[in-house]
Amino acid sequence: MVIYLRSGGKLRDRLQPDVDQYTRRVEVEGTPTLREILTSMDIPHALVAFGFSQGTVRRLDYRPTEGEVVTLQPPVAGG
Amino acid sequence: MYGFGGTVLRINLETGQVRRSPTPESFAREWLGARGFVAKTIYDEVPRDADPLGPENLFIIAPGVLTGSFAPCGSKLGFGCISPLTNGHADSNMGGHLGPEIKYAGYDMIVFERISPKPVYLFVDDDTIELRPAEQYWGMGSLDLEARMKKDLGEDFQIATIGPAGENGVAFACITHDFGRQAGRCGVGAVMGSKRLKAIAVRGTKSLPVHDLPGLTKHTYDIIQRTKPHPNMEPWQKYGTALFVSWANEHGCFPSRNFQTTVHEGWEGISGEKLAEEVLVTHKACFGCWMNCGKYSRARIPGKPDTYLEGPEYETIALCGGSCGMTDIHHVAYANYLCDNLGLDTMSGGNITGFAMECYERGIITKKDLEGHELRWGNIDDFENFLRMIAARRGIGELFSHGTRAAARKLGQGTIAFAEQAKGMEFSGYDTRWYSAQLLSYCTADIGAHHNRSWAITADIELGQDTPVGKAPVVIYLQHIRPLFDTWCCCRLFWGELDVTPEEHVDAVRYLTGWDITIEECMRASEKIWNLTRAHYLERNGGPGRKHDVAPLRQLEEKIPNGPAEGKKVGTENFNYMLDDYYVNRGWDKDGNPTREVLELLGIGYAADNLEKRGLLGKPVPGGIPKVRGQKLKPKAM
Repeated sequence: MVIYLRSGGKLRDRLQPDVDQYTRRVEVEGTPTLREILTSMDIPHALVAFGFSQGTVRRLDYRPTEGEVVTLQPPVAGG
Repeated sequence: MYGFGGTVLRINLETGQVRRSPTPESFAREWLGARGFVAKTIYDEVPRDADPLGPENLFIIAPGVLTGSFAPCGSKLGFGCISPLTNGHADSNMGGHLGPEIKYAGYDMIVFERISPKPVYLFVDDDTIELRPAEQYWGMGSLDLEARMKKDLGEDFQIATIGPAGENGVAFACITHDFGRQAGRCGVGAVMGSKRLKAIAVRGTKSLPVHDLPGLTKHTYDIIQRTKPHPNMEPWQKYGTALFVSWANEHGCFPSRNFQTTVHEGWEGISGEKLAEEVLVTHKACFGCWMNCGKYSRARIPGKPDTYLEGPEYETIALCGGSCGMTDIHHVAYANYLCDNLGLDTMSGGNITGFAMECYERGIITKKDLEGHELRWGNIDDFENFLRMIAARRGIGELFSHGTRAAARKLGQGTIAFAEQAKGMEFSGYDTRWYSAQLLSYCTADIGAHHNRSWAITADIELGQDTPVGKAPVVIYLQHIRPLFDTWCCCRLFWGELDVTPEEHVDAVRYLTGWDITIEECMRASEKIWNLTRAHYLERNGGPGRKHDVAPLRQLEEKIPNGPAEGKKVGTENFNYMLDDYYVNRGWDKDGNPTREVLELLGIGYAADNLEKRGLLGKPVPGGIPKVRGQKLKPKAM
């Protein structure tokens, strides 16, 4: 299955985009969770606040579907 | 001069005299605006023994170089004085639309001197400057007054107000503008109130001279085009800063019940998603912003009137919500409204109420102290009663009105150990027991424990959460780069979230002013400001510096009892290691006092002279000071 992960900022350095400046094509086996995908890519879970796709927050136990584009949102200060 | 309004305004509130002088270009270039203007002016002009709420303190309003310029998000406006909360240099800033309006009226800094005999407000309509009577407004809430003044003067005036807390000199009173944007920290609202200055109303219709308008226009347009499809844009637009409530709970830094623990039972009820589902009315942007991270909300609580507010932001949710035991987003939104209208900083206000709730839980304060009310975790009625007592400085509210540190000192009984503050400034919404770089950031900051001086949480993750090694140089870098945005006066979110680089902001300054300025020059200015405000703090409060860089015992030695960070604490030994490393990397001596070598290198040798006269100058560092002070964190490669 192929999914697309997008990110900016420091996470982009870890993601190493290959589709456009923010997006990386990732091939996975089965239907892993975002957490499992991050582990396989050696991205620390703590550097991802949550996923975001189709206008909705996705926790790290979310299982992306074929072709889904998921934004990885880094934690930041705010307010 | 390009990029600036061109005039410094000085207003003697005692006599009503107004003086205008041209903004010196050399001053503007050296200090860049806002935080820089404030730091230098207060250092030069306020006597070291001046009472923060007395006539000798100054109250300063200053936009920055990029304010109102159409550079990305040039919305910010700085406020400055000596803080009644920390007794040191204070600066605080707000977004919204007032900063650009002041610049369009032609002013780069407004300095208020002395104290008005009667309540007044400042009326500015381009060249018309008047101090107008404000008795009719005295006592009104900040939000209520802004609405009233918009009616009285017209919608095209931009207005900043204080509430009853500012009038009454509460040490963490804030200034409100745009129905929910605050200069929240350091008690700038109390100083404004001490001057009997209830509000500022400004209309500016002049143009801002731009050195290279086509260049600046293209520069900003290119950034707009580039950032529109940025992956972080949509989540930010939808949820704003409240996004990170979930992450902070999942990673052991969310303050729950006065920082007793770092995962808050029921946090789902006060999350960003809950905000969007239950209280959000519409999105809201500051001047020159296309992100719209502001959230305008409505709180609905049975038995209370519906209230409208901007927020709640992450920090308010963390401190009025988590730290006070709340689990309902309507209650947090209402707490936000109360703070705003009373004119209290939601961060210090939430923090100190959480502290008082723990004192109540321990029996240190009782119903008798609270006019018959209780002060229970998560109870919005108790929260409201306590907050109103503080704003009015009524009963035990007087004791707490001076801030958490002052209250703990008066209460005694070991309460200082769980008073979550540094230099008198209440912690922002991050527990640091698993994030030691953030603790170092809080404790070494010139204004105390404010996250916008340096937010080092992700640096902790990158460098290792269980080690103090390597933290200090990164904190120093962050302390130079992050507050630089308070000097330029553009929103730092475009840097942090949308990959607009500091160099691109400097490009905007170049297009605007025509200066051949570089990021290195700006970083040097920021380091200079940091050292000047450190020197100023020591000159007012004595030395050695190390005695002021103190962490709460809870953060050092009390282990987190549960959750993802269970068992974590920073430890006194680790903290002292980081402090030693920090001073070495700053070019200060081991006591935390700035040295002549570093001050002269930064062009502020006069601060060395002043420290020397008081016996506070750092001893020469063996081997000299580091060539580069501070180090940018380099993300680890995959």
